[in-house]
Amino acid sequence: MLTFDDVVKRRGAREVLSGVTFRAEPGRVTAFLGPNGAGKSSTLRILLGLDRPTSGRALVDGRPYLALRRPLGVIGSVLDGSGAHRSRSARQHLAWVARSNGIPRRRVGEVLEQVGLTDAARVRAGRLSLGMGQRLGLAAALLGKPRALVLDEPVNGLDPEGIRWIRRLLRSHAEAGGTVLLSSHLMTEVAELADDLVVIAAGQVVAAGPLDAVTAGHPTLEDAFFALTGGAS
Amino acid sequence: MTAAVAGAVDAVAAELRKVLTLPATLGALVVAVLGPVALAALTASQNPRGSAAEAALAAEPLVMVGAIVLGVVAVSSEYGGGRQIASTFAAMPRRPAVLAAKAAVVAVLVAAAAAAAFPAALLAARLVAGPGPDADGVLGRAVGGGVYAVLTALIALAITVFARSGVVPLVVLVANGSVVSVSFLLYQVTPLARYLPDLAGMRMVAGEDRLAIDDALAPVAGGLVMAAWTAALLAVAAVVLVRRDA
Ligand SMILES: Nc1ncnc2c1ncn2[C@@H]1O[C@H](COP(=O)(O)OP(=O)(O)OP(=O)(O)O)[C@@H](O)[C@H]1O
Ligand SMILES: [Mg+2]
Repeated sequence: MLTFDDVVKRRGAREVLSGVTFRAEPGRVTAFLGPNGAGKSSTLRILLGLDRPTSGRALVDGRPYLALRRPLGVIGSVLDGSGAHRSRSARQHLAWVARSNGIPRRRVGEVLEQVGLTDAARVRAGRLSLGMGQRLGLAAALLGKPRALVLDEPVNGLDPEGIRWIRRLLRSHAEAGGTVLLSSHLMTEVAELADDLVVIAAGQVVAAGPLDAVTAGHPTLEDAFFALTGGAS
Repeated sequence: MTAAVAGAVDAVAAELRKVLTLPATLGALVVAVLGPVALAALTASQNPRGSAAEAALAAEPLVMVGAIVLGVVAVSSEYGGGRQIASTFAAMPRRPAVLAAKAAVVAVLVAAAAAAAFPAALLAARLVAGPGPDADGVLGRAVGGGVYAVLTALIALAITVFARSGVVPLVVLVANGSVVSVSFLLYQVTPLARYLPDLAGMRMVAGEDRLAIDDALAPVAGGLVMAAWTAALLAVAAVVLVRRDA
């Protein structure tokens, strides 16, 4: 379970997050929705211990990320792109990530296969297409067989086949009891996938709950999104 | 094995893999090892009556250039070319341990390069022009040169943590070591400048007669002063890493 408890983030004079509180439960796919600049990435970075909250806290199974030993066996994440240095090959990147968490070397080949990058294993990360970079990021997230997956706009750059593939992957991860938290701008993109929605606008959670409860009373998913985030329709 | 030791082993092994799979590392090692060999051979060929040992010692600055590149790249590669830093801290959230692992890997590589470069440069100079006259304290100065290179690499590593990019630290450090030394300029203003890291450690490498300043610190004392600077800069870098958003 991932919990956000009154997370506030100030950058200079601006408050980027104002008391973000929600949970992502095991066995469910939670979609974190909001327009550009709403604070989705900022929230996820705080969960992953990359940025420090001004106040409040974010916990992974009740513990701060920074307290996790070998975190990749507990939670896998993809922020933007592959997260690999551009002059390293996919295999080299995954090899150091695996070693850093004491993950057996054979997992590298397994995850490359799982994300469909076996043939591109020796290609430098800088030469991978946008979608292939996303797949490499996902491969790194899957290395430690974590129970929780956190993905910032995972569909970005994927082709239709890739989108269908990642949806199935995330669904089955949740159905096996895992926790999935993913961000997106598009309600339609997550409608078939998500169990729960958390909608954020201007640094504040404006709606949270099961998908049908959050979207109830709106003619279309798009209308729901605009109504909740206060955007033009 | 305790958890802390296991974590440190994981971090060092991961950082070693990272450094060894960067093309810039290979370039730096080539400069640090083959550079002195070529320079020593060149010096010996132009001055066949000179001391081969002095020719080899005079080629040490190229080890330094390689060392600076290794130190800088170990950190700058995290920030340029794909912002790998998020992957690094997601995998290893204990940031001081990551810094320590990087420092250990860089120190070992630079020490190995220096240990290979000096005998190879000496051999090259002797092959070109024969041994020539003896030089003073050759072994001590060769070891001192290695220590100086390791400390310089670690200072470069710490400074790159502050800069989060390789360009400025590379230019400043390489220029400071070759074109014009900021510390040497400061020394014209105050003799206290001899306690600055690059001047403090100078006598580890250079013979007393070859220094541009006349009251330089003795080799061991100077080396300790330089090591203290290095430790302090690494400690500040660790604090900065922990406090700063990745
Ligand atoms: N490093 C930073 N320095 C300053 N401001 C930042 C930084 N990162 C994000 N912000 C600001 O914080 C706010 C939230 O940004 P964030 O990236 O979290 O939004 P987002 O919901 O992920 O947007 P998008 O959908 O475009 O990815 C924005 O106003 C952004 O300008
Ligand atoms: Mg974002």
